[in-house]
Amino acid sequence: MRKTILFTGLASILIFILTSLIGFAQQKPSFAPTLREELVYGFNVFDGKSYSGGFVPETENTIYLIADHDNTLSAKKTLVYFWPITAKYMAGFKTLNEEVEGTLEVLKEGKIIKKLTKKDNVLSYPEGYFGEKSLFYKEKEALKEYDKYKKAMNKYYDELKKYYDARIEYRKKLDKFFKEVKKRREAGEVGPLNIEIPKEPKPPKGPSFYVTQPKKDFILNLPLGKYQIRLRAKDGTIVEGSEKNVVVFTSRRRGGIGYEIIPGNRWTKRESCNDPAMIIYAAGKNILYFRPYAQDEYNELYHNKLIDPQNEGREEKWIWVHTSPIKNVFLLFFGQGKLLKKIDKKPYYVKQIPGPELGYNILEYNEKDFPYQKPTFEGYQLDLSPNLKKTGYQIYLQKKSENTPLAKSERGIRLLRKKNSQFLYYLSLLPLVVGAIVFIQRRRGVVS
Amino acid sequence: MAKGSFSLTVHSIKVLIKRELVSSLQGWGFYGAIFVSLIVCSFLLKNFMGGIREENILISSYPLNFPLFVSVIIISFYLVVISAISISREREQGTLEILFYGPVSSFSFTIGKYFKDIFLYLITLIFFAAYFFGVSALTNLGFTYSLVKSLGLSIFWVSCVISFGLFISSLTGRVRSSIIWLVAILLAFLAIQFAHSAFLSFPKEALSTPLLYLRRTLYYLSKGISWVSPFSYISRGMESIQIESMKLYLLNIGYCIVYSVIFLTLSVYILKLKGVRG
Repeated sequence: MRKTILFTGLASILIFILTSLIGFAQQKPSFAPTLREELVYGFNVFDGKSYSGGFVPETENTIYLIADHDNTLSAKKTLVYFWPITAKYMAGFKTLNEEVEGTLEVLKEGKIIKKLTKKDNVLSYPEGYFGEKSLFYKEKEALKEYDKYKKAMNKYYDELKKYYDARIEYRKKLDKFFKEVKKRREAGEVGPLNIEIPKEPKPPKGPSFYVTQPKKDFILNLPLGKYQIRLRAKDGTIVEGSEKNVVVFTSRRRGGIGYEIIPGNRWTKRESCNDPAMIIYAAGKNILYFRPYAQDEYNELYHNKLIDPQNEGREEKWIWVHTSPIKNVFLLFFGQGKLLKKIDKKPYYVKQIPGPELGYNILEYNEKDFPYQKPTFEGYQLDLSPNLKKTGYQIYLQKKSENTPLAKSERGIRLLRKKNSQFLYYLSLLPLVVGAIVFIQRRRGVVS
Repeated sequence: MAKGSFSLTVHSIKVLIKRELVSSLQGWGFYGAIFVSLIVCSFLLKNFMGGIREENILISSYPLNFPLFVSVIIISFYLVVISAISISREREQGTLEILFYGPVSSFSFTIGKYFKDIFLYLITLIFFAAYFFGVSALTNLGFTYSLVKSLGLSIFWVSCVISFGLFISSLTGRVRSSIIWLVAILLAFLAIQFAHSAFLSFPKEALSTPLLYLRRTLYYLSKGISWVSPFSYISRGMESIQIESMKLYLLNIGYCIVYSVIFLTLSVYILKLKGVRG
């Protein structure tokens, strides 16, 4: 008994000390971040779909890359500080951004397999800067691509200048037209005046694509495996802090089908339904817009570290990464084994409700109703009415040229019965009912 | 002769299981514990359903897994307490001495107690399955394959909990001591893990050298606890289901079996060492 009391006492003291220490640590006054000059690697890496940029601080020893794709690295001296809100190191590139020159050596099992010098490279966005696709160009092709963009921009600026001149001319003609109308009406002329109405000039369209300015970086394209990199300065020495491990990985599964779902009542807060095991639960009336994507499955830890080396993740977990939108398909809505709807993709325009009230309407887009506007998004509209009789439904994709559903595109949709949740407490009584039956049986046995 | 001794051991285990199981099933405690776990589950599910606003969607593979996890934790507390007091109560009441005059050995006694609790949990599992099936039918939340996997894995989690409880019980001579030991150990586990996670939220720069050493020590301690505490096997198992890794799922079953064997062996050994009077 004494031992027990002693142990309990010790445990209480331990808890007290730990709680006090944590309290003490939390009471430290706030502080301005301490800036430290560091050698970091700036990167622009292929993330499975497009390119993502970031930096690798000194605290991270490993850089993660996707196999057989071009990625860029550049060694820089910058000021690094710890940002407690995100618990991550940040770089002050605006204060200090000094390129460290040299040759990047790539080693495998201790042997140098590549010596890289900096090369020109650009990123091209064929669907515009906010488009979903980005392409990487290097060396001569990079300069050619940038030149193409520059020419397109110059042409646009020329057309824009012409447009502004034409608009000035148009305003003049319009003024003249109104004056003429006024004059003739005041002179007592009635009926049609037969004066030509000046035509408003149309603004030119800018280039639909965007290309970044060329810059010089080390371009890394490695097959699957583990490597080391280091920077050798011009004097032949290894630059301190430049040695890093490189893990080059690839996707585990390819060609999956995932969905981005835009709920009609909160179109900016999109949902993902990537795993085939996922079920879409819907309560009440819902209008959903489905956007199907091809997807590849990557290791969560590796992929998180690829996008930001300071990210966390689990090596045992796998995540789906959307690679490209799936085109030329229909969305099929099935219920009780029957095809209920065959839905085609349409463009939609989100129109804010004018006035002080918040809200918007999602309208089917067409150029006539929305001149000079672009559709907000494209998708497959599915109306889940609460009047649907059964509770279990499925969706599939079907290629327009074929009649069979696409493999891995099936997802279940279940309509929730929220009202019934009040009966859940009654279900909990089940063990008590069984207990009561056992108790009564036992009493009967004792009496008889 | 050896064969005869083996069959006698098996027979005494069977008799012990039957005696204890019938006694537990005829009491209100068992049904009460399941009721509490299910009522908590209903509360969680009702709030969850209420959280999905009208005209909204929720995308999930396993909406029923978290309530099941909570139910298993609650029922595990009940099982760890009854297994923690099971040996010490028999010792305190003197029945252990009487049993050991007969063909009952420390091995058959411990194994009998262990399997009684396992059977109790298997019966609980029937209640859980019926309850979640009912929930699915009422609300249309999916009774999915992953829920079946969780139900299967929970048998192994509970095995860890029971063997840990028996180990505590074998160490103590009185019911009161067993409960105090159990609560103290679980609180110490909780405090260390809480302190470690609290320390993790501070950057290295914000901590003085002694606190950095303390953080390191806590890291090793919580690593150790994650293998000693039976409850960490539950969270580890849930994670393997959540990330849908069959390898991890089977590995967790393996860990639970090894854990149970180690703690049961220790219980038998300590019971033998301490004797029937403690």
